[in-house]
Amino acid sequence: MIAALLFAALTPTAMADENAAEACLKTKIWEGYNTGWAVRTATNATLGQGEHRIYLVTLYAGTEYKIMVCGDDKLQNGDIVLYDSLGNELMKDAQDNREPVINYKASTTDTFYIAVHATRTVDPKAKAGVATAVTYK
Amino acid sequence: MLSSVLLVGVLGLAACDSEETKVEAPKPEVVAPAKLDIAALQSAAENVALVPSPAEMQRALERNGIAGGLSGMVSERTLKMDIENKDVIAVRTGVALADALLTVKDAPPEKLKTRLETVKAGMAALGGGADIAATIDDINARIVNNSVSRDDLIKELDEMHGAIIPEIKFEAGERAVPLLQAGSWLEGSNLVAGAIIAANSTTAGTELLRQPQVADYFMKYVAVEGGGKAPDEVLAQLQTTLTRLKELASQPTLSLDDVKEVKSQTDAVLALL
Repeated sequence: MIAALLFAALTPTAMADENAAEACLKTKIWEGYNTGWAVRTATNATLGQGEHRIYLVTLYAGTEYKIMVCGDDKLQNGDIVLYDSLGNELMKDAQDNREPVINYKASTTDTFYIAVHATRTVDPKAKAGVATAVTYK
Repeated sequence: MLSSVLLVGVLGLAACDSEETKVEAPKPEVVAPAKLDIAALQSAAENVALVPSPAEMQRALERNGIAGGLSGMVSERTLKMDIENKDVIAVRTGVALADALLTVKDAPPEKLKTRLETVKAGMAALGGGADIAATIDDINARIVNNSVSRDDLIKELDEMHGAIIPEIKFEAGERAVPLLQAGSWLEGSNLVAGAIIAANSTTAGTELLRQPQVADYFMKYVAVEGGGKAPDEVLAQLQTTLTRLKELASQPTLSLDDVKEVKSQTDAVLALL
């Protein structure tokens, strides 16, 4: 019993699973193909609560973009925030879940910043696998 | 004391069970994402999603009312991968991949297969591993057997370009992926510039070719290291071209003359491949 508890205590409470996040994202990407979406980039990361990744992107004027994130089961709430090239916040997702999505159509071709946040994990020490895709239509 | 506490706890649990009271777990505190200023964004930004794919360029071109697309403009070229310079192999592989992506919809099977064989040879020379080679072999087998639709092929090549290749750890080193992307972007930009010139569009250059950050990103990788080593002809021209493309793209608008210069600058690199 003690041994089991000790084992549980020593085992990392939350191993990030980028593969699970990636599998979730791939499903969404392939579903998107059926409705005319294509993928620019898909990438993975491991994030602790409160950590983030920032991606610089070039977006074409008039093209519709969908930015999708999938977290593994260690992520409770992930967030996406889009900034313009000067650092002004343009939009952020309104969902409280681990699969946030935002849609954006730029009025001019320019560079933008996408911030992907692991806002809340299942416990504060958990590391979450987070996969992000930039798709376009 | 301890036994009293345990007893209370046990009794408490028993009471909960008997009454089947559903106690909702306290909702976790919602934490807002951290606010980031421009300095934080710039210092931490990764470039993995920076570069538009050739297929995305094609769609943007069509959206700007320039009909015909890029597939008919892809020229025949033989890209040799049995050379020593891995940087040049990466650029050539990117060009071959762009050509395959842009012609996947309507190229004859043998021609498409040849383009993908070139990509495979480039991947092998860069040390991309057996998985990507097997993937290309599988795609080619289905092309030859006509057992895959061109629409599905577009998806598979699109995913290969955007999601699979950027994650490969090439034996040639970290420069392989950005230089491969540089090849694809250069070929796409060259074809886009050609299409704009053919359409005599005075506005499309600004919408389709104004990407100074992309040129800047590639320049960091193309910069030839010194040490008395003579720079490779291709990389030296690529550096010159990217420097000029960055200058052109940094303007608020691109005129038709600017677009013509984009075409001639990118022609100069592609001619050396």
